[in-house]
Amino acid sequence: MNHYQPSLNRLALLARERPLLLAGPLHLYQEQEGLGDEQLAAMLGCEPESLSRLALCERPRPAPHFRQDVERIAAYIHADMLQLAMVIRAAESRETLSHRQGTTRPTLLAARDHDESESKLEEPQAPDTTDDEQEDDTR
Amino acid sequence: MQATLQEYQFHQRLCARDDPIAFAELAEWLYSGLLQDVRTRAGYRADPMLVEEAVGQALLDYHEQPDRYDPARLSLQKYLVMSAYRDLQNASAKEQRVQAHQVSLFDPAFQFDELIEDIEGLKSIDEQLAVDELWAVIDETFPDPVDRGIVELIVNHEHASEPYIRLLQPGDLPRDEQVRLAKLAQYRVARRLRRHLAQWLARAHTRAHTGGDAL
Repeated sequence: MNHYQPSLNRLALLARERPLLLAGPLHLYQEQEGLGDEQLAAMLGCEPESLSRLALCERPRPAPHFRQDVERIAAYIHADMLQLAMVIRAAESRETLSHRQGTTRPTLLAARDHDESESKLEEPQAPDTTDDEQEDDTR
Repeated sequence: MQATLQEYQFHQRLCARDDPIAFAELAEWLYSGLLQDVRTRAGYRADPMLVEEAVGQALLDYHEQPDRYDPARLSLQKYLVMSAYRDLQNASAKEQRVQAHQVSLFDPAFQFDELIEDIEGLKSIDEQLAVDELWAVIDETFPDPVDRGIVELIVNHEHASEPYIRLLQPGDLPRDEQVRLAKLAQYRVARRLRRHLAQWLARAHTRAHTGGDAL
């Protein structure tokens, strides 16, 4: 009668409601960018099966720990660290924007924890925040 | 029995809040065992989705407040099984009240029409995208084809028991037992649907009001 199979995916789904974990912002990012699991995994350079483990990771701490935390997560899911950092920044920016109803520019949010030693990680604009979108966000 | 060495190490990592992969690793390590233990304790008739949800919430609650657990008193596995089993009992008790017709029809889980009005209100934003996104959320939330069928019936305002019974295929059970099973399944799915859609709707409305680009 029931064809239900347990998996970590179900736990990752429940985790979207938990603010300390990456599940919520990542889901919002996928939803807003229209990305399926395969596409997000390709962007991160990891296997789609790793995404549920990524969702269960804690959000990286702000600088000066951000780089170290992203490196740890990237090693755990075998993903590209820079891509992961950009996706996390973009996901958290989008989440903050959706909470603040567009009162803050995403580039400012992404740069909030800027640190010279992490400039490569902190400075890049989120891949989803084009100039046009920034214009929109200020309206 | 107190925590094992490995449990204690995980507990320390979680309490320190300085290792972003600690919880994911703990979940990988414990999740299947917890499901098995809770299922064994709850008995073979327990709904596997309710069991998995209870175990999931127990793990996530522990992650948010690890200091509630005392490794000197109890093993982490035992603590989480007890926590999940308690949640499961509460959920089962509520379903039994439904079975006994003791739950008010004003229970939010039964207010499908209000939920569907919200969904239909989104069509004014961008009909096709809203509907596509809604079904993507539903597909993800309900991987089981029977549950997915129940969602379709709910969304299509189906109030009669017969279509639900046809989906569930309860075999040769007496008619009143079939109706009871249909009601329970409808209640369980509606509760889950309501929770996930409420989140999605909140996000969709926010995007609509802020000129977001997904809808």
